Amino acid sequence: MLKEQLQKFSRIDRRWIFLLLAITLLVPIIKPIGLPNKTIAEATSRVYGNIEKLPAGSFVLFSLDYDPSTRPELHPMATALVRHAFSRNLRVGVVTYIAGSTGLIEELFARVSKEYNKSDGKDYVILPYMPNILAVMTQMSSDLYGIYTKDRNGIDVRGMPVMKGVKNYKDMSLIVCVTGTAILDYWVAFVGDKYSVPVAGGVTAISQPGYGPYLQTNQLKGLIGGMKGAAEYESLIKQPGKGTSGIDALNLAHLLVLALILTSNIILLIIKYL
Amino acid sequence: MSETWIIIGGWLAAGLTIFLFSFLYKDNPFFKIAEHLYLGAGMGWLFQVSVTNVWIPKIWEPVSKGELLVIIPSIMGLSLLTQFIPKISWISRYGFTFMMGYGSGLAIPAGLSTDFMSQIEGTIKPFSLLASMSPFAIFNSALIAFGAICVLFYFFFSVEHKGHLKKVSNVGIYFLMIYFGAAFGNTVMARFSLLYGRFDDLYTFSGAKYLYATQFILTGMVIYFLVYALFAGRSKNAIKA
Repeated sequence: MLKEQLQKFSRIDRRWIFLLLAITLLVPIIKPIGLPNKTIAEATSRVYGNIEKLPAGSFVLFSLDYDPSTRPELHPMATALVRHAFSRNLRVGVVTYIAGSTGLIEELFARVSKEYNKSDGKDYVILPYMPNILAVMTQMSSDLYGIYTKDRNGIDVRGMPVMKGVKNYKDMSLIVCVTGTAILDYWVAFVGDKYSVPVAGGVTAISQPGYGPYLQTNQLKGLIGGMKGAAEYESLIKQPGKGTSGIDALNLAHLLVLALILTSNIILLIIKYL
Repeated sequence: MSETWIIIGGWLAAGLTIFLFSFLYKDNPFFKIAEHLYLGAGMGWLFQVSVTNVWIPKIWEPVSKGELLVIIPSIMGLSLLTQFIPKISWISRYGFTFMMGYGSGLAIPAGLSTDFMSQIEGTIKPFSLLASMSPFAIFNSALIAFGAICVLFYFFFSVEHKGHLKKVSNVGIYFLMIYFGAAFGNTVMARFSLLYGRFDDLYTFSGAKYLYATQFILTGMVIYFLVYALFAGRSKNAIKA
């Protein structure tokens, strides 16, 4: 009798599981539980440490290469990184090689620059989208004005205070690439290793394990992984944002998955051996 | 941006999200509309960004100023489009040849240095620093080197995997399984993060500011499925009769 019931249960319509998951994720959004995020990965701390040690006025290049499909993971991360850079009074340059990211970059800087009273052209510059990433990276090694003559609004970048003394990678203190693609690999291989420029990254949780070797060899100076990494970085800069608020939902969803895996395995064992 | 446009944007975003999620219940015309709109809008966005950020400043403006050299790479780029016309598709080879040569020249040395030499160095180097390392760091380095060797043996097919070699390659499988497990766990977390992002937006659009977009569209979808189920049931009965 029990065996038959369990067999019936194991064939449950998967749409019930979708509904259960939806409720699990939606409840903490409507009513936050406030589960703590107590662990901070060493790789995340390394990114923080690399920005923290830069003297004010240093030029940091952000390569923000993500579109709306990975926004929930990468936008909070990029926001936290830009906030950190602005709070340290660093000069910020932004490039992108993903056409879909331009709108997100505009939204980010319109919001964060106001928080720190930073102005376009003086404290930061957003360069336009460029295709053919390898050609752009190669050109930037000798003279970035050979490829970027104007910013995304068509204003000449050479005369901007933010670009003062910046001609190529040698004049940059750090490159941070936030991406859901393999563009971080390009920054490591074609820029970091080749021109000895420190490169750090922020990637989706899916890509995170693949960057372990680069971290071990210090080819990558630090790595922020997924929404968890974003929450960690928000903790480090003491500015909770979308990453931190997502931790409730992630924790509950993971508990649900663990419960489902355990339940289904127990049911299978009972069906097999009882 | 005016308040009206923000509300319209909210309704559009909430609607498209719910239409796409509705596939989880059943395929339906609203999902198809959202799917095609996504592809069309994506291509449209890419086209306008390419025209305004690349074509105008990199080709049109220099040529207008008399910098005619940019015509050469432009023609090579355009040659790729001849792929669509079989009779003259051979012209595209010139563009591809340049891209292949240029790409390989850049990628091969960088790949060898970054993913091959540096990784071998990173695996071996710790053993030259044993005196300054903590016991845990030594164990860690030994484990990485052992794992790398075992996995390499697993992918070495020129010798039959039997005896000791089989044992070593089997250990390599366990290392690979650990990696796949970590990758899968992270994939699950990433997917939940993306789902959380959409739900967070849907919750935002459920507010009075957006005139309760989420609730209205969700209710509309539920009514559609109920009506559809009712009519589908009737037509089935009619066929049976």
